[in-house]
Amino acid sequence: MSQKVATKTAPVPESILKKRATSQKKAVDVAKLGRAQQLRNSRLNSVYFKRAEKYVSEYHKTEREAIRLNRIAKNSGTFYVPPAAKVAFVIRIRGINGVSPKPRKVLKLLRLLQLNNGVFVKLNKASINMLKLVEPYVAYGFPNLKSIKELIYKRGHLKIDGQRIPLTSNDMVEKQLGKFGIICVEDIIHEITTCGKHFKQVNNSLWPFKLNCPRGGFNMKKTPFLQGGDAGNREHLINNLIHRMN
Amino acid sequence: MTTRPFVQVFDAQNKVVGKVKLPNVLTTPIRPDLVNFVHTNLNKNARQAYGAAPYAGEQTSAESWGTGRAVARIPRVPGSGTHRSGQGAFGNMCRGGRMYGPNKTWRRWNRKVNVNQKRYAVVSALAASAVPALVMARGHRINGINEVPLVIANESVDTLQKTKAAVELLKKINAYADVTKVIDSKHIRAGAGKARNRRYKVRKGPLVVVSGKTTVSQALRNIPGVEVANVSRLNLLKLAPGGHLGRFIIWTKSAFEQLDSTFGTFAKSSAQKKGYTLPRPMIANADIVRLVNSDEIQAAVRASKVVVKRPTAPVRRSNPLKNLRAMIKLNPAAVSTRRTQVKSLKSKGIKVSKKNQLRAKLVAATFNQ
Repeated sequence: MSQKVATKTAPVPESILKKRATSQKKAVDVAKLGRAQQLRNSRLNSVYFKRAEKYVSEYHKTEREAIRLNRIAKNSGTFYVPPAAKVAFVIRIRGINGVSPKPRKVLKLLRLLQLNNGVFVKLNKASINMLKLVEPYVAYGFPNLKSIKELIYKRGHLKIDGQRIPLTSNDMVEKQLGKFGIICVEDIIHEITTCGKHFKQVNNSLWPFKLNCPRGGFNMKKTPFLQGGDAGNREHLINNLIHRMN
Repeated sequence: MTTRPFVQVFDAQNKVVGKVKLPNVLTTPIRPDLVNFVHTNLNKNARQAYGAAPYAGEQTSAESWGTGRAVARIPRVPGSGTHRSGQGAFGNMCRGGRMYGPNKTWRRWNRKVNVNQKRYAVVSALAASAVPALVMARGHRINGINEVPLVIANESVDTLQKTKAAVELLKKINAYADVTKVIDSKHIRAGAGKARNRRYKVRKGPLVVVSGKTTVSQALRNIPGVEVANVSRLNLLKLAPGGHLGRFIIWTKSAFEQLDSTFGTFAKSSAQKKGYTLPRPMIANADIVRLVNSDEIQAAVRASKVVVKRPTAPVRRSNPLKNLRAMIKLNPAAVSTRRTQVKSLKSKGIKVSKKNQLRAKLVAATFNQ
């Protein structure tokens, strides 16, 4: 009768066992972090969704309100004067040669350093006077929601550590502007459109937009818009120009 | 480091007849650098002065003829009547001239070595002779002996008077293989030493260490490679020939026991060398890696602050206005908004173009995923 001989397992050095335990613990920690990150992403996605929905509803309400007031005025034989625009979009349309020192300085303050660069500007007494000083060098007007949205989605860049970084995720928005309660791209668009409390910070975080030459070309860059040229204020017609330059 | 409490003692028949405590001197730090340095300098203290004769090549009144005679300006022997006249002299290129920079007898022949360095070197050499690996690495044939260090009873060694008896003893304890190696290694020296009373070169064999007066040196001195030394007067040039550690030593029991009084222990200073204590190793355990990785040390050290920076991958950007996936990444509600717009257009009865119908279908499909 043969008996089965118990197989001896070779002893494992203690240092290897310790190393295994350490690696396993680290792997567990990494997995835990991964799950926590996933959960956080899921919740953030939900927050993004709700905010975007809220803004769409708000834009719609504003639009309907303007229509309602216009109808009331028409029915009662009076006039409805829409509120003045709060935000302008300014595009540089002249090159860097032959610019006098004062307009050059103002253009620098507006961050319009290159031909076809564009920035948003909050309209107040000071900035309106600045825009008057540089009127022969820029085209500006009052952008609508569609223009703002398309500019930011297509050509939006953030200033991160002094570098121009494409706007590719909501994480970078939260990292830069989270302390102002702005955590996603729709928040940025809302802030620009409504000229909110943190417009200054948001606008400063956005790098100046680099636009294309307009499709169909300019008319006459050196002539004011009212005289058939391109320079100066063109109010809501800036949206056509933005569409051609985006 | 070889550390055993006791070493066995063997008799002439290679049988165990007792045991003796291992002296502390055989577990001291081994310093190859120090042994080599001390050996090199001690070896210079047995030199004899040599050099060229002070006047060799200068015993003439030669003077140069100067210029204008169509000959070199070397000093030339004066006089006439012999071929020697006019020959060049003094210069090292001349026949019968003196050598360039002749050796002088006032060269610095000897070297002073600090007593403490000498003692440390001797102690290191002894410790190395207690490590079998080092003894074998030096080239000694010790495969057959019972133990390193090898201790023989005094009755077997002190009574030796005949070389035949000594050879018999070496064979019994299996140490004769080393002697055989010495015999086989004899060959003619390369170089000029052949003509200077250094014709043959041979290896070193075992070193027999005894204590007190014995006749064993007469029995052993004609065996090739074997040397004898007294335990109270150990010579570094015998313990580490050529400055290389690991000499094969055969101890007598009394000599082995006397090591503690000659060199002292870690706890007590030497009885023979005034005020001398054995050197201690800098660290008790040389396994630094294991020490650093132990739990006690790792629990005490601060966490590493080194941040490994990986190169950032270039950002691949798509236009969110055309690429729906990129748009969803930035605005998850985009799908819902587009769906609502298309539906509202339909509810108003406005005709939707074929392109927009296809887009609506794609949006619906994406939304339903």
